[in-house]
Amino acid sequence: MILKSSTLILAVVLIFVLTTHPMHAQDSTATLSGTVTDSSGKVLPNVKVSVKSAAAGESTDTQTDSSGNFSVANLAPGDYEVSVSDTGFGSSSAKVTLSAGTPQTLNLTLTQPSEDLPNAPSSSKSAPSLEDLGFAPSESQANAKQQALLDKRTRMLKIHQRMGLITTIPLIASVVTSLNAGGKSEGTASRDLHVALGALTGDLYGITAYYAIRAPRIPGTETKGPIKFHKAMAWIHGPGMILTPILGALAFEQKNNGQKVHGWAAAHGPVAIVTAGAFGAALLSVSLKF
Amino acid sequence: MKLGFAAVCRSNYGELVKPTRLLLFLLLSFPNLFAADSTWVLKQSTLTYHVSHPLHQTDGVSHAARGKGVCHAGQCEFLIAVPVKSFDSGDSNRDLHMIQVTRGAEFPMVTVRTRLPESASGSATIKADLEIQFAGQTARYQQVSFEVTTQGSEKHITGTIPTTLSDFKIDPPSLLTMPVKNEIPVRVDMTWSPQ
Repeated sequence: MILKSSTLILAVVLIFVLTTHPMHAQDSTATLSGTVTDSSGKVLPNVKVSVKSAAAGESTDTQTDSSGNFSVANLAPGDYEVSVSDTGFGSSSAKVTLSAGTPQTLNLTLTQPSEDLPNAPSSSKSAPSLEDLGFAPSESQANAKQQALLDKRTRMLKIHQRMGLITTIPLIASVVTSLNAGGKSEGTASRDLHVALGALTGDLYGITAYYAIRAPRIPGTETKGPIKFHKAMAWIHGPGMILTPILGALAFEQKNNGQKVHGWAAAHGPVAIVTAGAFGAALLSVSLKF
Repeated sequence: MKLGFAAVCRSNYGELVKPTRLLLFLLLSFPNLFAADSTWVLKQSTLTYHVSHPLHQTDGVSHAARGKGVCHAGQCEFLIAVPVKSFDSGDSNRDLHMIQVTRGAEFPMVTVRTRLPESASGSATIKADLEIQFAGQTARYQQVSFEVTTQGSEKHITGTIPTTLSDFKIDPPSLLTMPVKNEIPVRVDMTWSPQ
């Protein structure tokens, strides 16, 4: 009965967490890309591009990169008005119809610099440009793939964070119920409750760990700061979360047979406490500033 | 004869002096007409953003900014750019999240443009209109105050830009379901030298 309840709770939690962070397939969306140039054909970097849906009236804003290119993904198929504007230039717009699964290209041209405002930056030819500053192309060029990787990483780590917080509830409850689960207690109700809470903790912990382990790694990133300690704690609470229920099962069997908990099974309590402590330290290390 | 010669000399001298006097007048009255263009280069910089959360106060620091100023006809145009990923808050996980939420992989550079009169370099305080491009958005800040101190031929400029997340349409990150504050002021500390 208690086990069925814990399974139901687990199912509700999973539905809640996963539906707040949907990961839909992207086959039903469209992508629009293009280049913005001036009337002489020179590419224009850092130009604002606005893509407005004719049906929904909503706009998605982006900006051209150092090569004058822009790209907007995850658009619903349909009719759009694309506008570009820049300081000192006029504006330009065009209409386009996007289809699902077929990337579309639209190039736009901005013409004639307008009158400069007295104290605002101008678009005069004497103004320095990004190219003058000598940044390496790898530093100034857009990388849409890496942005997509970062977006996926953040989505998964948000679920990891949320699941980790949820896991602390049955974890704390199972530690509290352990006081009546073993020792001299003869009744089985407390023990059954402790087992159910422990099982629920284990399941939620497994989901928490999954999202952390499977979150994409970003190449060339050195791990440093509090996150290093957070990851190190996983080497304690990870194996502990596996060992604790194994030892717990041994203890449970001994108690059911009317025996006093002994041998390896006696380590269930200390292992569980160390595991819970490491879990708590991991959570606090990324929550508070020490 | 002498009188005639003197008259001729006076007349010729007057004719010669007129354009010379005019030239002198122009030189003294409009120095900028004859001033050569000058260029300033950002020699050293520290840019620091500040993020406030109920449980955390975080500063991210970058020393990777580059800048150039071109002065022409009494006006100087400045451009400063810094890679988004160069900011270090001391936690790699937080820095990666910052890059993600600011779309730093799609828009890897923060650029700041401003125009100042050349005479501003002699002032102790300057007020600049800034155009900042960040996270795919452009925001303008009017009359931002900076302190200027002179160290030899170099200019040391400090100040704080009152940027906010909403100016650049950035969703506020959250920790333990609590979002950070909208205000993310950026402290600027720059040393410019003439090229």
